[in-house]
Amino acid sequence: MGYKNKKRHVGIIGIGETKFSSHREDVNQPEMIHEAVRRALDDAGLQIDDIDCVVHGNMELFEMVHQADMWHTIGTGAYGKSAFRLTTGGTTGGTLVCGADNLVASGMYDVVMAIGFEKLQEGHTTGGITNMADPLWARKLQSGALTAQAAVKLIAEFGEERARRAAMTYRIIMDKHACKNPNAHRAFHLEWDQIDDLMKHSPPLIGDLRLIHMCSQSDGACAIIFASEKKAREISDTPVWIRDHITIHREETLNLHNNFYPIQTTHRFAAEKLYERNGIENPLEYFDVFEMYDPSAWWGVDWLRDFFLLEGDQHIQMVENHDIMIDGKMPINPSGGVIATNPIGATAMVRVAEAAKQIRGDAGEHQIPGKVEHGLASSFGGTMWTVLTMLEKETNW
Amino acid sequence: MSKPTDDCHVVEGKLALPYQYFAGRTGSRFLISLRDKKKIMGVRCEKCDKVFVPPRQTCERCFSDISDNWVELGNKGTVTGYTIIRYEEPHQPIKPPYIMAQITLDGADTPITHIVKGMPLSKMKTGTRVKAIFAKKTTSSIRDIEYFRPSDDKPAFELGYTYDELEVGMSASFTKTVSESDVYLFAGISGDFNPMHLNEEFAKLTPFGTRIAHGALPQSLIAPVLGMKLPGLGTVIPEITVRFRKPTYFGDTITATGEVVEKIEKRRWVRMELRWTNQKDELVAEGSCLAIPPVPLGK
Repeated sequence: MGYKNKKRHVGIIGIGETKFSSHREDVNQPEMIHEAVRRALDDAGLQIDDIDCVVHGNMELFEMVHQADMWHTIGTGAYGKSAFRLTTGGTTGGTLVCGADNLVASGMYDVVMAIGFEKLQEGHTTGGITNMADPLWARKLQSGALTAQAAVKLIAEFGEERARRAAMTYRIIMDKHACKNPNAHRAFHLEWDQIDDLMKHSPPLIGDLRLIHMCSQSDGACAIIFASEKKAREISDTPVWIRDHITIHREETLNLHNNFYPIQTTHRFAAEKLYERNGIENPLEYFDVFEMYDPSAWWGVDWLRDFFLLEGDQHIQMVENHDIMIDGKMPINPSGGVIATNPIGATAMVRVAEAAKQIRGDAGEHQIPGKVEHGLASSFGGTMWTVLTMLEKETNW
Repeated sequence: MSKPTDDCHVVEGKLALPYQYFAGRTGSRFLISLRDKKKIMGVRCEKCDKVFVPPRQTCERCFSDISDNWVELGNKGTVTGYTIIRYEEPHQPIKPPYIMAQITLDGADTPITHIVKGMPLSKMKTGTRVKAIFAKKTTSSIRDIEYFRPSDDKPAFELGYTYDELEVGMSASFTKTVSESDVYLFAGISGDFNPMHLNEEFAKLTPFGTRIAHGALPQSLIAPVLGMKLPGLGTVIPEITVRFRKPTYFGDTITATGEVVEKIEKRRWVRMELRWTNQKDELVAEGSCLAIPPVPLGK
């Protein structure tokens, strides 16, 4: 791999999120983006003139817009500045962070603003996603954006009852977190005693994936401002440092090009490489918060094992014991995660934004009660994209 | 013989990608005003001294919120750039060929893109003045302006040359063939039913040997010159003198010419020399007139 150490540290100095919801009739795309941009600038105490470069991204085809960065300039503030557009599917928000980090770390720009957005209400998500598949072998067989592959795997390994209960427990924990986050799109106020009912009666979508397990379709935007170490320390009292990021991806729609299974998932592969090169021996112990891109409760449970390099049923136990709750041993998604809020092009960036807020200590009602110094954020996209981002409170690594 | 492309299969496909787009408050206000009042609205950034059409919530130059600084614009503007679309595609708003233009409305600093119709494609040029034609049926979209068409900004009447514009040596003329029916009509207009104009047998007894036109008939052909060409619309002729040199026979083609020969500064009048010639370039009549050139109407 071509990974090299950074030339200089890069800090997050401004974070802006819109309120996420299913409809934003009151604003158009550039106006909605502008809300996040304005909040990020206010958060950093900067003016748009202080930004050297703007990186913009969302999902291709989801709103049937093309090169939207051009006419979004009205809202992004990119007028007269260097600007890039990145789009890597579901991981777009994570890739935007990688791009901005690289642009600053390289010395090309001192202050870079990355913006991820989506207005899923305006488009047809499945139509866009279906375009992803190989037109010759897979496109005409696609079922859309949904899959129950993780459910099949968990049930096969741990049995129907234990697997289903773990997935629904995970779901209710995420809802309890979402209820604390004023920006979250869906907060149902689910109760523990609803588990059995939901396991039986939530409308089935595909296989063992039920409506209640699945992420929302949300409208919203996220903007993050990144600065070189010198600038970051001048501008912010609480910069959050990007220690490292890794991207691993592979085509897995209908398993066309990886015929030599079993092999590792991209999540596990990414996690192993990232921890290895950063000397992290026990990630579960090291990290104080993990904002995971969890598109469904099934995936959320299954992927815990990959991201923390766990064995056996350790990940199931983490859920069963509520270790993943905001006040637990390893808080996962104190924001409520992706099941609550999924404006896709912004989603992965919100993971980084939320993890950074936890490290700053100003997340509000959903602030983790204990100390938060080391954060991890994941991005997921089809067919198997993984981006992992490591965040730090200090630069002493 | 087999070709390299034989047995190369093609997978046909078609994907529907429906979408909607929320206009936002600012865009909605523009569309509502267009739909309900047929008014085109823009927003002004005071700081940058710019009026944006279509409107936007934020000035992208200075990032000020300008969404409340509405200004009403007229429905006229100037084409600042254009192209002619000749190829046909299913997504086009109207059938080609048609003109797509960038139109800067009067009072705006940014152009809008729209269709221009109602003029020959070959006559389109940058700087053409156009006006919005509103659609009869609303679609609550930018197509509530159905298209723009050329706008004739000229006044209803175009006055002739003023005293200051007239120069000695400027001339103009009018030509017409005098027919039998012209002469009969002129007899009716003037009441001059003299048989030398109307009765061939009587006319044979006169020195001309055939019917001739009334002298005042060719003389009157100077009127379209003076009143409509030089000086032109708005002119008053206080004096005209004529000496007749040759008769005008039926079928003669008479050219009446006026030429400015003197500018009378004191009265701001001009003196003009007048000449009437026929198709053989013979001098039919000559004379002169005084002309009071037009002053702007209503003054």
